[in-house]
Amino acid sequence: MRTTRTLRRVSQWVVFLVFAFLFLNTEYKDNDVLPYAVNLFLRLDPLMAGAATLAGRALIGLVWPALVVALLTVALGRFFCGWFCPLGAVLDAADATVFRRRKARRKDAVPESWRKYKFLVLFFLAASSLFTLQWVFLFDPISILIRTFTVSVFPALNLVLHGIFDGLYRAPGPIPAISEPVYGFLKSHFLAFEQPVFRTSAIVGLLFLGILVAERYQRRFWCRNLCPLGALLALVGRFGLFRRRITEAGCTRCGLCESDCRMAAIGGDVAVTDHGECIECMDCQAICPEEVIHFSGKEGRKPAAVDLTRRGVLASAALGAVTVPFFRVEAYGKAPDPLLIRPPGALVEREFLARCTRCGECMRVCIANGLQPTWFEAGIEGMWSPILVSRIGYCEYNCTLCGQVCPTGAIRRLPLLEKRKTKLGLAHVDRSRCLPWVGQSDCIVCEEHCPTWSKAIVFREERTQTARGEWKMFKKPYIDEDLCVGCGICETKCPLTDRAAVLVTSRGETRSTGVLAR
Amino acid sequence: MEIVCSGAYHTRMITGGCPFSRRRFLQAAGGAAGAFAASALFPPLLLAAGGKTVDVGVASAANPAERARRAVALVGGMKSFVSRGDVVVLKPNIGWDRTPEQAATTDPEFVVAVAEMCLAAGAKSVRVFDRTCNDARRCYVSSGIKDAVERFARTNHAEDALRIYHVEDRKFVRTTIPNALSIKEWDLYRDALEADKIVNLPIAKHHSLSGITLGLKNMMGIMGGNRGQIHYRLSECLVDIHRRVPVALTVIDAGRVLIRNGPSGGNLADVKSFGKAFASRDVIAADVVAAEKIFRMAPRDVGHIGKAMESGLGVSSVAQIRLVEG
Repeated sequence: MRTTRTLRRVSQWVVFLVFAFLFLNTEYKDNDVLPYAVNLFLRLDPLMAGAATLAGRALIGLVWPALVVALLTVALGRFFCGWFCPLGAVLDAADATVFRRRKARRKDAVPESWRKYKFLVLFFLAASSLFTLQWVFLFDPISILIRTFTVSVFPALNLVLHGIFDGLYRAPGPIPAISEPVYGFLKSHFLAFEQPVFRTSAIVGLLFLGILVAERYQRRFWCRNLCPLGALLALVGRFGLFRRRITEAGCTRCGLCESDCRMAAIGGDVAVTDHGECIECMDCQAICPEEVIHFSGKEGRKPAAVDLTRRGVLASAALGAVTVPFFRVEAYGKAPDPLLIRPPGALVEREFLARCTRCGECMRVCIANGLQPTWFEAGIEGMWSPILVSRIGYCEYNCTLCGQVCPTGAIRRLPLLEKRKTKLGLAHVDRSRCLPWVGQSDCIVCEEHCPTWSKAIVFREERTQTARGEWKMFKKPYIDEDLCVGCGICETKCPLTDRAAVLVTSRGETRSTGVLAR
Repeated sequence: MEIVCSGAYHTRMITGGCPFSRRRFLQAAGGAAGAFAASALFPPLLLAAGGKTVDVGVASAANPAERARRAVALVGGMKSFVSRGDVVVLKPNIGWDRTPEQAATTDPEFVVAVAEMCLAAGAKSVRVFDRTCNDARRCYVSSGIKDAVERFARTNHAEDALRIYHVEDRKFVRTTIPNALSIKEWDLYRDALEADKIVNLPIAKHHSLSGITLGLKNMMGIMGGNRGQIHYRLSECLVDIHRRVPVALTVIDAGRVLIRNGPSGGNLADVKSFGKAFASRDVIAADVVAAEKIFRMAPRDVGHIGKAMESGLGVSSVAQIRLVEG
């Protein structure tokens, strides 16, 4: 009876490989339009879809696949966690390798009762979302996984591999002749075009490490105790038609299934299954010496009760709701950070934050590495949402990729012509630092890079007094605010090495004013 | 092939002793045919070997590839520049995320035609690259150069010999420049430093700082580091680069010319059809002639060309230039 377990393992591998493939292809590959839905995984996520819909007060067409997953869960139970979830697959892989020898010893390290926390987290998040504050990104496993890979794991891996191959490239003798073909293959299929860098990368990596290390104390610690997506699927799937049952006549009560269950879904009596907790991994069926365990559509024994109290549910939901006004009176709502430049096509701030999943897809695909995770520029609730940091990278004039990958439409998919007219903010010249303005030297770099036709940065040739008192002619940059789209290339390319002398702030952004630039 | 020589350039200039005005330049170029007719009798190569005179081929043709071929033929053909077994670097302008029609990047057919000539002259390998200003992937695609070069290599089964690729950080080498006017050392691209021959393929266009950009400035594409800073002393920096990495042949694409809002342009209204190509072994000579013919600008009007002429890098006066038109 090992076939179904093998099937489940194959499914996990295949899904993870698809996940990795889509991740690696969330990138410009000589094509203005990404050829397939690289954002598929977040669109399959009923938790994120529900939260964005609730908080954003809008039906989001993009997330229809999540409805399919929800309906499948009603029919099949919590299969998603065992068969499909890429984070689950990573955790299982960690169990099978790093934490292999800990299996026996770690039993009972974490109290059984902790599993209720995932429900409490879920109710907290749901209530909060109902009142427009969307926190789901903190706990959603798909969001966590993509964000971590984008901001942290992939850039770090890229750095290390590059370091190795750069070293080999400079090595003497025949070494480069061997290493370079390998490098060429990696470069075209796996490595980043240019080394990406991200703010918050270390902390995002550490949080993920925390989830992995928790496996040391309990198998699937995250999924059992904290994952609100797991909790949602448990609630939806506990009456699923496909469930574990035992032919009691043949069962010797050896308890092997119970002790080996990765979710501790088999309780007290081995014939009793908590169908909300069971992720249908099929381990118990595979290991049962008597082969009396089956998964089928027929009714098993009465399911175990969820260990949730009404008081707990109400308290967490109330807490989620009560938190909202405290965040709504944060002052950034009235005076937002002037450097909070959102991607082109971003919705107005409130709707944007309600929908943004913080998955980092837009940052991953951003061609110039300009989209970065926020720390607190948009408040605590805005953490990890995308911000264009022009000193790191700019918004490429002919690129529309971020709008193509956003899974919830927080960044609208703009046609190129509309995108070119969408203002992210406006540039201004710091006349106390700009070289021609202070009579230091010629420059023109901002003007030559300005992508609009005609140019939003124009020169006026004017006499300027140098520091030594001589009068000289300089071409000084001026900004035409009607033409400037706030792409930030001037700020990126400004040759001053520290703070640029031409800077973009959010003033005049199209999404707030509601009008397109002329 | 018709050879028209314009000795008038220098005869009038020097004997006249007057400042080199744009107007005079124009007249000189216009009245070129008669004054120096005698030298049309000499084969161009013989004169060049004399060391005093440098040929600049000026070709007119309807299509970019034809222009490139003719211009190179006018200065002796690719075999005078590229020898059998050479590793050749082709340096077109791929600097911007613009289409060929927007004339901010070298015409792809022009690039392919020159690559083809290099291969025909026996080059062992021809490498095409540029360090771009916009995202490199977008520039290579939008300019049409990546596709054109790869397609040509594929259809002619020359994928190994002719390659276009992206610049990588690790291949920049900190290089000292002896007797530098401005940059004593800079990161230069290894493939350019190691090449046997460099063929410089700029597109002629307006430039907001230097007035115009031609062959001299195009070689900025082999520079690493913070290139923005070289704009502080552009003329000197360009001389330094060319002194360290001499160019064997410069072929200037002047099929479509961006006459305003360069170097990045974008607006088709700023593009004028000109239908010419210029070729010379001396990058300064090519720039001087192109500047005059296209933009009606004399060397002193373009800071970095004037500076280069003073530097001893190549021709030091218009007198040393011989026009070969066809």
